[in-house]
Amino acid sequence: MYNLIAKIGEGALNLCHETGGLLHLLFMVIKSLFPPRFDPGEFLRNLYKMGVKSVPIIILTAFFTGGIMVIQASVFVKRFGATSLVGWGAGYAVFREVGPILLGLMFSGRVGSNNTAELGTMVVTEQIDGLKALGIDPMQYLIVPRVLSMIIMLFLLTIIGDVIAIVGAALFGILIADVSFAAFWTSFSQNVHVADVVHGLIKAGVFGFIVSLTSCYAGMTVRGGAVGVGRAVNNAVVTAALGIVISDYFLTYSLS
Amino acid sequence: MSIIFKDVHRYFGSKKVLTGVNMSVQPGEKLFVIGTSGVGKSVTIKHIIGLLKPTSGEVSVDGVRVDKVSEKELFTIRRKVAMVFQASALFDSLSLLENVMLPIRKHLKLKDAEVRKKAMALLDEVGMLKHAGLYPSEIGDGMRKRVAIARALSLDPAYVLFDEPTTGLDPVSARRVDSLISQLATERNAGCIIVSHDLVSIFSTATKIAMVYKGIIYKEGPIEDFHSSTDPVIRQFLSGSSSGPMETPGF
Ligand SMILES: Nc1ncnc2c1ncn2[C@@H]1O[C@H](COP(=O)(O)OP(=O)(O)OP(=O)(O)O)[C@@H](O)[C@H]1O
Ligand SMILES: [Mg+2]
Repeated sequence: MYNLIAKIGEGALNLCHETGGLLHLLFMVIKSLFPPRFDPGEFLRNLYKMGVKSVPIIILTAFFTGGIMVIQASVFVKRFGATSLVGWGAGYAVFREVGPILLGLMFSGRVGSNNTAELGTMVVTEQIDGLKALGIDPMQYLIVPRVLSMIIMLFLLTIIGDVIAIVGAALFGILIADVSFAAFWTSFSQNVHVADVVHGLIKAGVFGFIVSLTSCYAGMTVRGGAVGVGRAVNNAVVTAALGIVISDYFLTYSLS
Repeated sequence: MSIIFKDVHRYFGSKKVLTGVNMSVQPGEKLFVIGTSGVGKSVTIKHIIGLLKPTSGEVSVDGVRVDKVSEKELFTIRRKVAMVFQASALFDSLSLLENVMLPIRKHLKLKDAEVRKKAMALLDEVGMLKHAGLYPSEIGDGMRKRVAIARALSLDPAYVLFDEPTTGLDPVSARRVDSLISQLATERNAGCIIVSHDLVSIFSTATKIAMVYKGIIYKEGPIEDFHSSTDPVIRQFLSGSSSGPMETPGF
């Protein structure tokens, strides 16, 4: 009994510790933004590395996501002849939910985990101390450029993803559900609104924020060599995924 | 003008690594810090640039209490006191040249071409110019250490901390590092603290030696004091004998 209470207490303390750490990191990031003091070169490098290099995988994910929506729907579309719903259904689902979530998770897997591993390795090989020793603030040189890059890039990638997903949906509609492009487009353009796109993009911004903060935090707090880096990457991806799903619930709830 | 340790204690949890370190180094001096591995030499010198804070005691650089100042003020200290890390701590994502250019670009208001020129001159000084375009993962430990030295010297520091600068270097390169250190001390009047196990280096270069043993500076003094010492612990360390009174943790 005593053990159980101790365990719960320890868990609660850990949670507070981690939350406090994350908030502290957030505070430091915000402080470095007003006035903006971060390395422009690193910022551009990260925009390229995290954003531009993610385009292929995002296109692939988005294309098939759009396709899957239509495949799932095609059974009912055929049975009830509901071809006029396909464009609307695909657009609504992709823009509001499936797009931001899947792309967010993909981004976390590709960019967030990489970020954690990189920062973690820098911690255990004393590169972070090395930066400090050169009078360079790791916050301004490493963290802020990365956080900004991730937020901006997930946002932009989601816009690209949205377009590609609709292309995928239209294509699969023609191939699988016997929905002509004209029918798809009419349904899509008449029923899907800018608000749906905005809804999804707000989510993308929040998800980018979550992935960036959790992955940087996990990386910067690595302890215990290479094993520690592995553990941190694991933690970062799980925390980001949970963060995405849970915040999505609240966002969907409060935005509609 | 000096670096001063006053009764510095440093514990990691229940592990008491430093239990009252007292030592000092003046500009132009070459203080060698010696002691068995794991005794706390690296821990000691990390206090000087505030990478570690003492559990109790004082560390000051030219009259500024490093253990008391804010993170922001630490950055001013760190421009004045450079450090060469034991494992070099070069940035993996940057080429060797970029590694040396980084602090110059960040701190000195120079044009890009001048930054490059200065960095290349520094790399030349440590004999690494022809490898300037390589990345840290593409070269060996000894070469990395030389680049780390070039990088540390990029801001013309008033003090330089070397953590085992000659470990992993071939004897020729090691002697060149020794003369580089001597040059720093005599020509630029820099204060140097060198953690080292390299007896050749110690006896050819040191003006002063501090021996860390059991959490304290067991003995600090000019090189002659160590030569003539009859203390069995010092004798054992300097002769590298496996039997004697010296306690080596882990053995
Ligand atoms: N961040 C830390 N957390 C916990 N213990 C630490 C930490 N840093 C150092 N120590 C401990 O402090 C002791 C001294 O370490 P230090 O690296 O200073 O040894 P050293 O004298 O430099 O040895 P070497 O010659 O092998 O480099 C070691 O036992 C080490 O485990
Ligand atoms: Mg050491």
